[in-house]
Amino acid sequence: MMWTAALWNEYSVGLVIAFTCALTGFAALTIERDDLHKLLLIDLVETASLAVVALIGTDLAEALILPGLVVGIAELLALSQIYLTKEELQHYKVKRLNIEVMMISPAPIIISTILVMYGIILSGFTGGGVAGLGIVFYFMSRSFTGNFHVLEIASGISWALWVASFFVFMFLPEWWYLALMGAAVGILLKVITKMSLVGAMWGEPE
Amino acid sequence: MNEIGGTPLFFLEFGDIVVYFTPFTLTLFLLALVFTVFVLISRPERQIDIAFGADAFYAKVISLPELRFRRFMSIACGLACMGAMVTGDVFDFTLLVSLVGICNVGIVAAVKSRHVQNAAYQYGLVALAGTVPLFSAAAMVAATTGTLSMIELAKDAVAIPLAARALLVLGVMGEGMAPFYAAKAEMFRAPGAPYVIMCSLSSLLIFLRVAEVILLL
Amino acid sequence: MIIQKISRILSNFDNILPVFAAACAVMSIITLLTLPFVYSENQLYPKQIVPGSSLNPYDRGGPPFTQVEIQSQYPGNSPTAGYVTTYLTPFSLFLSQQTLYMGTTIVAHPGGILDEILYNTRGLDTVFEPTILFIAFAIAAYIFRREEHK
Repeated sequence: MMWTAALWNEYSVGLVIAFTCALTGFAALTIERDDLHKLLLIDLVETASLAVVALIGTDLAEALILPGLVVGIAELLALSQIYLTKEELQHYKVKRLNIEVMMISPAPIIISTILVMYGIILSGFTGGGVAGLGIVFYFMSRSFTGNFHVLEIASGISWALWVASFFVFMFLPEWWYLALMGAAVGILLKVITKMSLVGAMWGEPE
Repeated sequence: MNEIGGTPLFFLEFGDIVVYFTPFTLTLFLLALVFTVFVLISRPERQIDIAFGADAFYAKVISLPELRFRRFMSIACGLACMGAMVTGDVFDFTLLVSLVGICNVGIVAAVKSRHVQNAAYQYGLVALAGTVPLFSAAAMVAATTGTLSMIELAKDAVAIPLAARALLVLGVMGEGMAPFYAAKAEMFRAPGAPYVIMCSLSSLLIFLRVAEVILLL
Repeated sequence: MIIQKISRILSNFDNILPVFAAACAVMSIITLLTLPFVYSENQLYPKQIVPGSSLNPYDRGGPPFTQVEIQSQYPGNSPTAGYVTTYLTPFSLFLSQQTLYMGTTIVAHPGGILDEILYNTRGLDTVFEPTILFIAFAIAAYIFRREEHK
């Protein structure tokens, strides 16, 4: 049974709901004067646009949501960093998880390792998220203040791997299996490194 | 087929996304390319402030990392612009336009001045808000016509809601900030042409392109 | 006079977001007024629900390493489209034979319809998406580092 046939009427109803949400958000943005609240409200409005994308109701919709979501997250990341410098909040000391047991016991390492390994088994975008979470957790418990050049290089290489896989898909389609694995590993590394870098970009610990 | 930009000269096929060059888009593409090369080879100009009440002036020095970063952002912006000029897919176009928007924010945000940072933040918020109408427009085109390819959309009488076109234009306005040139003067106080010019040129180019897209649909 | 007033409002960058948000709000109202839209029946990559399948919302048929027909825009441009859709890693193949809930996690494994769209047929989109993330990250990292070195 084709699912699309049932959506004829539901599509317009869905649009009414999504655009009402967007309208509410935009109306709030019109009167909001506080910079931080503006950022939060825009993040809220972004959700309405994802709802409009989801309303296509096909597999294509799911594939379009991912880029839409990432654009929102990416800009949010850059803007919050600009906000920090603009308001000169950079030099506030950051509170870490000051749990004494966690600082010395091997538990965080074990949990992080499990998460990273599970993420690698999952692979792809979700796997990257899980493994990245493991590394963030490790940084949080150990107040890690090393340099992140290795992570940054890994992030760049994974991006290149991704683009290389794309070209294999486009110009050597008979090698699709290689390209699939390249893309899966590329996105895994990319998400892990990006998440762990964000987790580490906190500033000086207390 | 509706050929508002002229007969397509050649197609580059990337799966579902077909990049095509018409005389119109090729011109815009070359313009973006030439300017990107200029950015690549030029040295930034230094801002000269005249000291008030004295026969003296001082030049603001731009640090090497800042120069490199802004040049990187400008080149990225130029490449995104080139992509936005020639892409033949509505969703791809919206993605590239948001890439142009974020590069513009990056070019400005690198300047180490509180005033400029404040302006960059406000522009960044507008660029982020602009993605809402952009993606909504692309999604509405896909849902009402069943395709995202501009070639297919130009072919026959496919009915696209007027609201979708208007949302697309509004989104590009937000990303390109084209109508806000008055306020852009604030940013021109920031040192470092030709990088700031890249913001304006990219806004202009994506606006020219969206006009074509709207007429094409 | 009016132009003068408008340009004075716009020249203050604090007012740009409220003005743009107001424009978006007006546009949302206009969109609401022009509803309903006709939903096109002829969609690309339609969703299929196969009751009882362990890969459920994402079951597009076929064992791994066979090609299924998927409704892409230009099938001629992706001659191997359909192989990625059916692919399951050995681990996920094992899972799908054991449990009915594989479908909810298939997004995380290499292979499947979403990977087909994201990597293969609409791969260019997905190349730009990490590029945007990369640029945004470069901005954040640059600003963060600059403050740190002060």
